[in-house]
Amino acid sequence: MPAASAVFRIVGQNLSDPAFLAAMGGSLRRMAVGYAIVVVIGIGAGLLLGRYRLLDEAFGVLAVALHAMPAAAWVPLAIALFGLGETTILFTIVLGATGIVMVGTSAGIRSVPPLTLWAGRTMGAHGVKQFWHVIVPAATPRIVDGLRLAWAFGWRALMAGELLVASVRGMGQLIHAVAKSRQIPDLIALMVIIAAIGIAVDGLVFARLERTVRVRWETA
Amino acid sequence: MPIVLEGVSKRFAPNGWSAAGLPLPVRQAGGRQGQAASDLEAVQEVSLTIEDGEFVCLLGPSGCGKSTLVHLIAGLETPTAGRVLVDDQPVTGPGTDRVVVFQEAALFPWLTVLGNVEFGLRMAGLPAPERQARALEFIRLVHLGRFALAYPHQLSGGMKQRVAIARALVMHPKILLMDEPFSALDAQTRALLQRELLELWQRLKITVFFVTHNVREATVMADRVFEISARPGQIKHRYAITLPRPRSEHDPRLIAIQQRVLGSLEEEIAKVVKESMDAEYPMAPRGPVVPADRNLGSHI
Ligand SMILES: Nc1ncnc2c1ncn2[C@@H]1O[C@H](COP(=O)(O)OP(=O)(O)OP(=O)(O)O)[C@@H](O)[C@H]1O
Ligand SMILES: [Mg+2]
Repeated sequence: MPAASAVFRIVGQNLSDPAFLAAMGGSLRRMAVGYAIVVVIGIGAGLLLGRYRLLDEAFGVLAVALHAMPAAAWVPLAIALFGLGETTILFTIVLGATGIVMVGTSAGIRSVPPLTLWAGRTMGAHGVKQFWHVIVPAATPRIVDGLRLAWAFGWRALMAGELLVASVRGMGQLIHAVAKSRQIPDLIALMVIIAAIGIAVDGLVFARLERTVRVRWETA
Repeated sequence: MPIVLEGVSKRFAPNGWSAAGLPLPVRQAGGRQGQAASDLEAVQEVSLTIEDGEFVCLLGPSGCGKSTLVHLIAGLETPTAGRVLVDDQPVTGPGTDRVVVFQEAALFPWLTVLGNVEFGLRMAGLPAPERQARALEFIRLVHLGRFALAYPHQLSGGMKQRVAIARALVMHPKILLMDEPFSALDAQTRALLQRELLELWQRLKITVFFVTHNVREATVMADRVFEISARPGQIKHRYAITLPRPRSEHDPRLIAIQQRVLGSLEEEIAKVVKESMDAEYPMAPRGPVVPADRNLGSHI
């Protein structure tokens, strides 16, 4: 195994190398676009599944299946459909991370405490108003859980996609190149950076968001 | 709006209820409700009439169906037998003319105190400046002006309950259903809110149905006190209290009424205690049963 010091020196070099930073920027931009699509589709579909029992009976299984499928398994299909390009990677992120958001959102909608619904109904919240002003906010903790997991799933899916679609500039492409040259310290340095980005975003954004929501919702 | 209950019974299926006495979010697979012998009868053939503008207290031991009665009048539960009429119309669901202060505050955790109190007005489509002004007025009334922008998790239990009261009153309901609203409060706040509730009741000419297990509270406030028996809940006694308000706690007439109510209530509490002891220790030899809630006496 390479010495930690060697790995960290390479990490430092990478982070000051414009070519590396361009690749990292490419990956992050792709992730941002993919994640935005995941949020919109995942929450939208999850709300529909949670609200309409029939839809859930028809498509709920699909959401769970989607959520159970490892993202990497989508890449070959994506390549067959979209070729070796950006779209393929976005497709992988979306299919890899949307399921968990859908499942979390629809479960949240269906597990709103009855007392919360009752309180809303006695104050005139029915139908559509009840849905948007009572049910959706009450489901927020479960939705946030789904979004947090989706970040991790999406980040993995991004890497799986970039590794297999090596023509797109990104960190997956770098791993691909370094792996061929069998430079283990370089390879590990890249993996350290990828893991660090995943952890940093989770800790800075999602862990905080989740904590705020937990405190507010569960101790009220 | 007179409230009329005609032979109202409510049975609950043995499955599907939570410790808090609220239905679990599981939906039942359409079984025959209220038929099985193992069903739990919470309320049995209750008939009563509450006149317009009356202040009625419901008193009874724990688990005897008081909350269930409130939920039936609110239209949140449907009776398994009998009818609930408000203003001669059968109750088919909840309405903003009958606002409920639940036993647990049941605030919305994602809204501030102000957001919670103005919620009903927002649902009614009142414009923001108007509903906020009205909400703030009621927030001040329960002495939470400084906490208007706080979230429920930042409040104590008693403060949450006061928000729940403000949230109900702000709707100017014709009927106010209150399920042990003051039981989480300290003695001073309780006395204060009792006075304020009475004042509002007189000013707004609303009908109040007020559940409590506190004899002193019931007799100080109510025009009539209904005492409900141990489960299955039935109205056991009705007391009319005609003493003028504000009533002094030291008024010997009031104390005499309290003694009578308390004696009868203790019988019911003893029944509850005996029943639960029979269930827990069926074989144990037993001396005279001491009511669990003896300290009720100290409220006088
Ligand atoms: N949704 C439900 N499903 C099944 N049983 C229920 C349900 N709600 C209440 N019960 C039962 O009905 C009985 C009466 O409950 P209720 O909550 O009305 O009592 P209560 O008089 O309000 O008691 P407390 O003073 O402790 O609040 C209890 O035995 C309770 O277990
Ligand atoms: Mg109760």
